[in-house]
Amino acid sequence: MKKNGAVSLNPRLFEMLVCPLTKGPLQYDKDTQELISLHAKLAYPIRDGVPIMLVDEARPLEEGEV
Amino acid sequence: MTSSKDKFDFGFDQVSAPEKTEKVTRVFERVSSRYDVMNDVMSFGIHRLWKKWFVESLPLHQNGVYLDVAGGTGDIAASLSNRLTRFGIQAQILVCDINPAMIAVGQKKFPHLTWACGSAESLPFPDHSVDVITIAFGLRNVTHRDKALAEFYRVLKPGGKMACLEFSQPARPLQKLYDLYSFHIIPKMGEVIAQDREAYQYLSESIRTFLTREELLALMKSVGFTRTKYDTFTGGVVALHTGYKL
Repeated sequence: MKKNGAVSLNPRLFEMLVCPLTKGPLQYDKDTQELISLHAKLAYPIRDGVPIMLVDEARPLEEGEV
Repeated sequence: MTSSKDKFDFGFDQVSAPEKTEKVTRVFERVSSRYDVMNDVMSFGIHRLWKKWFVESLPLHQNGVYLDVAGGTGDIAASLSNRLTRFGIQAQILVCDINPAMIAVGQKKFPHLTWACGSAESLPFPDHSVDVITIAFGLRNVTHRDKALAEFYRVLKPGGKMACLEFSQPARPLQKLYDLYSFHIIPKMGEVIAQDREAYQYLSESIRTFLTREELLALMKSVGFTRTKYDTFTGGVVALHTGYKL
C-alpha cells in the first residue's frame, strides 16, 4: 500500500502488459502511478491497482516528458 | 474496414460505433452492483451451470496463462481458478474488462484475481502470450466483433485455444416461450430488482440481434482460427464456440 492509499501494480501483471495502441513496451512510473508508452506518447493511469489500458482514458505526454 | 457512417446494433436501435461503446458502458456502470444477483434471478440460476460447463471445457495448462476478456465481475476467472487449484495446477489468470465499475465489484469479491481494464478490440497484451482466451456473455456487447476476434487470435500462443460462451438462438419449439420471457418478463425483473428496465430491455434485444452460430463461426475463421466448432446448451439458448491458433 502506498501512503495515499493506492494499491500498487502487481509486478506479474506489469510483465504481461503492453500499450494497447502500439503493442510496444511500457514504463512504470511509481510516483504518478502511470504506465508510460513512449511510442504512443500516452500515460495510462493505475487506479486502485488496476491499470486502465484505454486510449480514451490515457493522458497525452507533453513534449518534455518524451 | 468500417467507417464512421457504419451503424451497429445497440439492442434494436442502430447507432454509430462510438455511441454503441458509450451506451454499453453506461448499461454496465448502472447494473454493476446488481449484476450477479440479476443473473441468478433471470436465468433461475442456470447461468451457473452454463459457466461451469464452459470452464470445464477449458484445457488445463501447468504454468499457463489464461485471459478472460470482458470478464466483468470475475465469476469465470474465479471458477477457473478453483478448478486449476483442485488439480494442483499453477497458472496465471488475468481478467480484462473495459468497465472499471464492473472490475471494482469483482475486486471486492475475488481479491486474489488479477485485473486489468482494457478493450477487447485493443488488448493490452503482447502477441503470442496467452494459452487460453475466454469470453463469456461478452462478445455480444463488443462494438467491432471482428476486431476483438482478431485481437484474441493475435495474443494467443501458437496452439492456443479461444472459447466463447454467448447467448444464441433457441430451437423452434422454445422460441415463443423464450420471446415472451425475454421481452416481457426480463425487462420487468430489471425494473423491479435493478431499478433499470432499459438496461434489461437492452439485454433481451442484444441477444435477439446477435450473430447466428454459423455467422460467428465464419467470423472466427475469417480472422484465422482453425478447428472451429460450436456446441449448444439448454436447447440452443446458449452456444459455446471454440477455435485454435495453429
